[in-house]
Amino acid sequence: MSALGWGRRAAGLGRALWPAGRPRLLAEEEAFGGVRGHRRSSSASPCEQDRRKDWGHAELLEVLQARVRQLQAEGVSEVTVKRVDVALAPEASSAQSPGKAWARAEGAAPKLSGRWAQKLDKEQRLMQKRKQRLEGRLQKRERTLAWQRQLRVEPRLLSGRLANQLQRWEQGAARSPWEEQLAQLLQEAPQRLSGDAAKASAVRGSDVRLEGQRQRLLSFFECCLLTGHLPLAHHVLVTHHSRSRQQRLLTLAMYNMVMRGWAREGSFKELVYVFFMVKDAGLAPDLLSYAAALQCMGRLDQDASTIRRCLKQMAQDGLQLQGLFTAVPLGEGERAELLRAVRKAEPTFRPPPPPPPPAPQLNTSPLLREVYAKGCPVSYPRLHLPLKKLQDLFQQQLRVELATTVTVQSVEKAQPPTEEVLHARKTLADLRATWETALYQELQETKASEARAAREGRPSLFPYLCLLSEREFVGLLLQTLQALPAQGESLLFLAHELGLRVFNRHIVQRKQLSKQVQVLEQHYIKYLHLLASDTQVAERCLPRQWWEALGMPEAPHEQPWPVSVLVQLGKQLAEVLVQAVQMPGSLAAPRGPGSLIPVLYHVYSFRSFRQIGILKPHPAFTQLLEAAAERTLTFESTEVPMLCPPLPWTSPHSGAFLLSPTKMMRSVEGTQQHQLLLERCPPAQLHGALDALTQLGNCAWRVNGRVLDLVLELFTDKGCPRLGVPAPPSEAPRPPQGRQTPKSGLLPDLSPADKAEMRRELARRLKVAREMQSLRADALCRLSLAQHLRHRVFWLPHNMDFRGRTYPCPPHFNHLGSDLARALLEFAQGRPLGPHGLDWLKIHLVNLTGLKKRESLQARRDFADQLMEDILDSADQPMTGRRWWMEADEPWQALACCMEIARATRAPDPAAYISHFPVHQDGSCNGLQHYAALGRDSVGAASVNLLPSDLPQDVYSGVAAQVEVFRRQDAEQGVRVAQVLEGFISRKVVKQTVMTVVYGVTRYGGRLQIEKRLRELHDFPQEFLWEASHYLVRQVFNSLQEMFSGTRSIQRWLTESARLISHTGSAVEWVTPLGIPVIQPYHRDSKVMIKGGIQSLTFSSSGDTSQKPNTLKQKNGFPPNFIHSLDSSHMMLTALHCYRKGLTFVSVHDCFWTHAADVAVMNQVCREQFVRLHSQPILHDLSRFLVKRFCSDSRVSKSVWVSRLLDTLLSVPKTGAFDLEQVKRSTYFFS
Amino acid sequence: MWVPVAGLPSLLALSALTRGGRFCILRFGAARRKDVLAGNRRGLSDIHPQLLSNVGFGKSSSRVYRCRSEIKRYITSPRLAETLVQILQGKGDASQPILECNPGPGILTQALLGSGAKVIALESDKTFIPQLESLGKNLGGKLEVVYCDFFKLDPRSRGIVTPPVMTSEMLFQNLGIEALSWSKGSPFKVIGILPTKSERNTLWKIFHDLYSCTSIYKYGRIELNLFITEKECQKLLANPRTPNLYQALSVLCQIACGIKVLNKLPWSSFETYTTNGQLEKQKHRELVEQNMCLIQLTPHRDLFTGNLTPFNYDVFFHMLRQCFMKRNAKLVDHLHSLSPIDALHILKQIKKNKNVKVIDMYPQDFHRLFETIECSKEDTCKWLYDDFMEDVIL
Repeated sequence: MSALGWGRRAAGLGRALWPAGRPRLLAEEEAFGGVRGHRRSSSASPCEQDRRKDWGHAELLEVLQARVRQLQAEGVSEVTVKRVDVALAPEASSAQSPGKAWARAEGAAPKLSGRWAQKLDKEQRLMQKRKQRLEGRLQKRERTLAWQRQLRVEPRLLSGRLANQLQRWEQGAARSPWEEQLAQLLQEAPQRLSGDAAKASAVRGSDVRLEGQRQRLLSFFECCLLTGHLPLAHHVLVTHHSRSRQQRLLTLAMYNMVMRGWAREGSFKELVYVFFMVKDAGLAPDLLSYAAALQCMGRLDQDASTIRRCLKQMAQDGLQLQGLFTAVPLGEGERAELLRAVRKAEPTFRPPPPPPPPAPQLNTSPLLREVYAKGCPVSYPRLHLPLKKLQDLFQQQLRVELATTVTVQSVEKAQPPTEEVLHARKTLADLRATWETALYQELQETKASEARAAREGRPSLFPYLCLLSEREFVGLLLQTLQALPAQGESLLFLAHELGLRVFNRHIVQRKQLSKQVQVLEQHYIKYLHLLASDTQVAERCLPRQWWEALGMPEAPHEQPWPVSVLVQLGKQLAEVLVQAVQMPGSLAAPRGPGSLIPVLYHVYSFRSFRQIGILKPHPAFTQLLEAAAERTLTFESTEVPMLCPPLPWTSPHSGAFLLSPTKMMRSVEGTQQHQLLLERCPPAQLHGALDALTQLGNCAWRVNGRVLDLVLELFTDKGCPRLGVPAPPSEAPRPPQGRQTPKSGLLPDLSPADKAEMRRELARRLKVAREMQSLRADALCRLSLAQHLRHRVFWLPHNMDFRGRTYPCPPHFNHLGSDLARALLEFAQGRPLGPHGLDWLKIHLVNLTGLKKRESLQARRDFADQLMEDILDSADQPMTGRRWWMEADEPWQALACCMEIARATRAPDPAAYISHFPVHQDGSCNGLQHYAALGRDSVGAASVNLLPSDLPQDVYSGVAAQVEVFRRQDAEQGVRVAQVLEGFISRKVVKQTVMTVVYGVTRYGGRLQIEKRLRELHDFPQEFLWEASHYLVRQVFNSLQEMFSGTRSIQRWLTESARLISHTGSAVEWVTPLGIPVIQPYHRDSKVMIKGGIQSLTFSSSGDTSQKPNTLKQKNGFPPNFIHSLDSSHMMLTALHCYRKGLTFVSVHDCFWTHAADVAVMNQVCREQFVRLHSQPILHDLSRFLVKRFCSDSRVSKSVWVSRLLDTLLSVPKTGAFDLEQVKRSTYFFS
Repeated sequence: MWVPVAGLPSLLALSALTRGGRFCILRFGAARRKDVLAGNRRGLSDIHPQLLSNVGFGKSSSRVYRCRSEIKRYITSPRLAETLVQILQGKGDASQPILECNPGPGILTQALLGSGAKVIALESDKTFIPQLESLGKNLGGKLEVVYCDFFKLDPRSRGIVTPPVMTSEMLFQNLGIEALSWSKGSPFKVIGILPTKSERNTLWKIFHDLYSCTSIYKYGRIELNLFITEKECQKLLANPRTPNLYQALSVLCQIACGIKVLNKLPWSSFETYTTNGQLEKQKHRELVEQNMCLIQLTPHRDLFTGNLTPFNYDVFFHMLRQCFMKRNAKLVDHLHSLSPIDALHILKQIKKNKNVKVIDMYPQDFHRLFETIECSKEDTCKWLYDDFMEDVIL
C-alpha cells in the first residue's frame, strides 16, 4: 500500500479523533520537536530548506502511520467488542471531543464480566493510550507541515489596479521576468497617498495605543528576522496588509525590514511582493527600500538595464546614490552585494570613502577647557595592578558575564547537615529534575501554540521564544522559582523581570555569536596599557580618548523591546512556570493525597480599588527550601561589582559592563525620551559626563576585612539592630500560633473581642517579623557579596539619573548604602598619609561621631587627640572594650576610622603609612549653597559657609534664630500662638524643613514635618499642635525669604516658568552647564493593558513625550531638579579636575571621598570649581535656552501661554551683591 | 536602564490593575476623587509664602474643599420625624440612648427628645452645633452634642485624629458609655443617613468593624438604623434569585445581621445642604427620583459561635471579594487561588456541584464553604491568603 493512501487515512482518523478546536488535550506528555527545525542555520535558500524539511517530515510521517496501522490491527484482532465503539464514535461525529469517545468506550466495559475481560480491558486501554499518543504526535506533524505550506506569500492588494497588475504579471511570469516588473512597479505612484496622510495625521495626535501596537509589531518582525523566521514575518506582514484595519499599523520600516530579509536571502519574487504592498499602502520607498532591492539584484546577478532603471527611478524620487552607502546601516556582505549591483549599472561608480575617523572632537564648554587642554602637564592616576593581573581579571569578568549569573556562598551560619537537611536536599534535587523535564515540555507546548497564533497572522511571542534555547529558559525559570519570596511576588513585577532577563541574555548571546567578544578582548587588552602600573603609553590621556583612539568599531546599538513585549513574554514564561511545576501532595500534608499539587498559586490581593495578582509558592515548598538550607545565592551578573575596570563610557549606550547592555542615563523602563535626547546631541557635548562617569567607575575598591569579620560575627549570632545589623528570624517575636494553626483563634470560650485583640497582636508580630526578614535578606545579600569579594579588587561602574546625579550600577553592595555598607569598603589603592594625612583621619573620625559640628578643624583634631585612648581601645577591642565607637552617629565607619588611626599612629613613620581609607568631605546644606551662589545672597551665603569664617556656620541655627526674632515680635503684639511657642523654637524643630526646602518641600509637607518635631517635645501643649506648626512653617519660610531673598525669587521664577512651559504642552527641558540634556519625565499616565492568560495586566507608563505633561509635577519638580543638575555638574567638574591631578575621587552626591593625603587638594579643587561653575551666567543661559526651545516656534507664538512664558523667561531674577571669589578661601565650604 | 538600579528605590511605576467587576470600578472612582482633592489642596498651599501671607489660606481652605464634595441630607419635616420616633421607640426601652448621626438642623433630635429619649447628637458640621446645643438647654443633660463624624470613626490610617474625626475610645469615654459583651446586646442604638457619595465605602467600613469587633462594635451588638438609597438596600438584600444585584456586601450583610426594612420614603422628604448650612435646591434628577429606605441592622448573637471569628474574618472577606470579582466564573476556579486544598473535595463536602457558579451560592453557602475549609484537617495550610496581602479597604 502506498504511503500516500495511508497518510490520508491516518490523517482522517487523526482529524476525527482530534477535532480542530482542541489541539492539546491528552498529548501533553509528548515532546514537540517540530519547531526546533527552524533554528537550523543554513546557507541554502528557503525553498530548498523547506523541501528538505518536508522530506524529513514525510519520512517520519510514514513511520508513524505504519505504527498506527499496526496498533489498529492489534486492537481489532484482540477485542472485537470494542472495535465497534471505538470505530463508530469518531466517525459518527467529528465534532465530538475525544473525552466523550473515551467515556463511551469506558461505558461499554461493565458489559463484560470475568477476569479475562478486565484484563483485556486494561490492555485495551493501555493500547488505546499509546495509540492516542502516537496519533497526537502524528497530528502535530501534520499540523506543522500544513503550517509550512499555508504561510501566505502573495499579498492581497487593496488597490484594484495594482491587484490586477499583479495578477497579470503573475500569470505572464514566464514572459516578463520579475525584475522587469519591479522596474515598472517602481514608477507607479503610491496609491492613496493623500487619503493616508490625512488618516495618519488624525491618528498621530490621539492614539498612544496605536503607537504601542506598532512598536510591538516592528519588534516582532525584527525578532523573526533574527531567529530566521523570515517566511513567518512575511506571512504576518501579508496578513496585516490584507486587512485594512490592521494595515494602518504597518509602517515603511516594517516593509523595509522584511524586504531586507528577502534581499539577504536573494529571494526576488518575495521582495517584489513586498514592493507591491509598499506601493499599495501608499508609501514612498526610501533609501532602505532601494538598498534592499539593489542588494537582491546584486546577489542574483541581474543584468544592467534593470538596475539602471531602478537607479533612475531612485534619482527621480530625489534619493542620492551616495546615500545608499553612507546613510543606510549595512553589514559587510550586504554592502558588497549592493556595490556589485551598482557597479553593473555604473562601472565607474566608487562608493564614497568611509568617512575619515572624525577628528577627535573637542568639547567647547568653557568649564571644561582646562580638563581637555593639551600641553599642560597632567598626572592621570594609574591603577596599582600590573598588566598581567588586569588581563587575568578581565578574563574572570568575561566569564562571569557570559554565564549571566553568579552564584555566591551565603554567609548564613552553616548548619551541620543533619539527616533531615540531607533528606530535604535530596527531595529538592529530585523535584528539580522533574521540573526541568516538565518545564521543557510545557515550553514546547507554548511555543507550538504561539507558532500557531503567528500562523493566524498575529504577532505572537513565537520568535522571542526561539531566541534562547529551552535549556536556558528552563534554567531561568528555575532560578526565578528559587528566588521567589515566601509571601509571593506581584505577577506584573515578575513578568517584567523575566522579560528583562531574557532580553539581557539574548543580547549577551548575540554578542557572543557575532564574534564581538574577541574584538572586545583585543581592544580591552590594549586599553589596559593606559591603566596598568607597569606599562608606558606615548601620551597620557583620558580613558575615553584612549578607547576612541583604539578605534573599536561601534557595536550596533540594540533597541530595547517595548515594555509591553517584555511584560507579555515574561507573563507567558510565568504561566509556563505555574502550569509545569508541581510537587507531590504528600509534602504539604503528610497524610494527604498522593497526587501532584501545584507549587505556585496565582492569588489576588486588593489594594483599595486595585486588585493585584500575585504568584505565591505553596508554604510547603517554602518550608522545604528552608529545611534544605542551601547556602548559595544567585545574582545576575550585573548585580555584582565588576572584577575588572569597566569599559569607558563612549556614548549614551556603551560603557560599564563588558557585555550586558547598560544605559548611561537610567530611566523608568520603557521611556525613550532621555535616550533620544542624548543621541541627538553632538557627541562632544557629552564628553564631560562620559569622562566623569568613566572616572568614578575606574576607582578600584576592596573589602575592609576586619570590619567584615566583626559584622559577620554579629550577623551570624544575634544581630544588632542598633548598629544596623539585622537580627535573624529566630529573634523575631513568634506568633503564639500562626494563622495556619489558628487553634487559639477558634477556642470557643474566648469572647469575640478577645479574639479581635488576639488577631491584632498576631498581625503586629507578623509585621515585625516580616520587616525583620526583609532587612535580614537585604543584609544577607550585601554581606554575602562582600564575603565573595573579600580578597579581590573590584570596580563599581557608574551611570546617572536624568538630572546627572551619579549612581553605582550594582545595587546590593556599593558605597551609596548605609553606614554599614560604607564601612565595608575601602580604596584598593593605597597612598602614604603624608604630613597632614593623619590629621585629616582624626578630623574625619570626629565628623563621623557627629560631635563638635560647630568647632573649628583644629578643635576637632584636638578633640580626637584627647580621645586617643578611647580610639585605640575601640580599634583593639571593638566588641569587648569600652566600645566608644558604638555611640557615634556612624558607628561602623567610625570604627573603621579608629582602626586606621591606630595603625597609622603605630607605624614607625605615620607620614609614610600607606592608607586605603577614604576620607569624606560633606557640603553643608549643598542645595542652599547652590541657591545662595545663584542668587548671590550675602546673608544666606554666610550661613551656608560660602564665606570664610573661623567657625563653621550652621544654617539651621541661623534660621531658628531668625524665626525666634519674628516670634518675639508677634508675641509682643499679642499673637497667642507666638506666645505659646516661647522657648520651643530650636534648631531641631526647623532643621528638616530647611534642609528639604531646596528640594521643593511645600508648606503642606513642611507643616507635617514641624508638627512631628513638636509632637516629640513632651512639654509642648499638644492642643496647639496644628496652629503652632502652621505658624512656624510660615515663619520658617519667611526667615528663609529674609536670609535667602535671591533664592526664593529664583525658586519662584523656576516654578512659574515650568508651569507655563507645561501649559504650552511640553515637558521642561534644559541643558546642564556641563552639557547634559535634561528632560523632566513627568507626564500624564497612559494605561497599557495586556490581555489574556491567567490575568490581564495593566501598567501605566508616564514617561514619554507623546503624552501630555503633568503640570503639577513639572512645576514642583523643576526647582529641585535644576539644583540637582547644578550639584551634579559641580561634582563632575571636581571629579574631572581631581583626576587630572592624579587623585582618587568618588562621590555620594554632595559628599566627596578621597585619600587622607589628598583631602586638601580635593578641597581646593572643589572650591575652585564651585566658583568657576557659578561664574557662568547660569540663569541667563537657562533663560536663553528655554526661550529658544519653547518660544521660537512661529506656529505657537500666538498662544497666550507662550507670550506669558516669554515675559516670564525674560525677566531673570536679579541677584545680590555676594562676591563669589570668597568661596575659595572658605574652609568650611565642604568639610 | 537595563541593569538593575542601585541606590534608588525601584523606579518602576508599574501597578497592576485587572479587569475588575463593577465593584472595582466604583472603588476606582472613589479613590480618584480623593486623589484629585489632595492634589488641589496641595496646589493651594504650595504657593509661596509671601504671596500667601496676606491671604488667610489655612485650615479653612482645606475645609471648603472637603465639604464641597459632600452634599448632606437632613430630615427637615417634623411629620417624618414623628413617624421615625414611633418606629424607633415603638418597642425597645426608652432608657437606651439614641446616637443620632449628623442631625443637622435638629428636627428629628427635637422629636426624639420630645418622646423622652436620651439623645447623643454627633454632628460633623460645625455650623449646626450652636443650634443643636440650644435644643438641649433646659432638658437636664438629655441631649449631648459632640463635634464628631460618626462615619469616620476610627480611621484605618493610624495617624493623628482631630475632630470631627475621632476614635471610638475618645468618644465613648467622654460620653461615659461602657462596653457590653457580645451576647448581652447593645448599650445604644444609632440612627443616621449614610453619606450619599461614599455609601458603599461606608458600608464596607461598617462590616469591617462588625466582623472584627472593633470600633462601635467593641461596645456590643450595636443596632444601626440607617437611611440608604433603595438601590443599595436592594443590593444588601440580594441573593442568587436577583443575580444582578448580588454582591459581596450582600453576603457579608446577610451573614452578619438581621435586616429589617422599616420604611421607604421618596428622596424629596429630605433636604440637602451645601457647605455653609445653606439649603440647596435639588438639582440632580436621578437622585430626586430615588427612594430612601430605612433599614435596621442588628448583628446576630450567634455570629461568632462557629469557626468564623474576629480572628479570621479577613480571610472570609478576601474570599468574598475575590469570588465576586468574576461573578460568573465557576466557584472551583476561584478556589484554586484561595486555598491549596483539593477544590473538588471541598465542593463535595458542602454538597455542591463542581460546576456551581459564584452567583449560584447563597450567603449561607459561602459561610459553609468558609467553615468547611477552616475545619479541614488534612492540610497544614488552609488558605493562600496571608497578612502580607492584607486587603486595604477605603
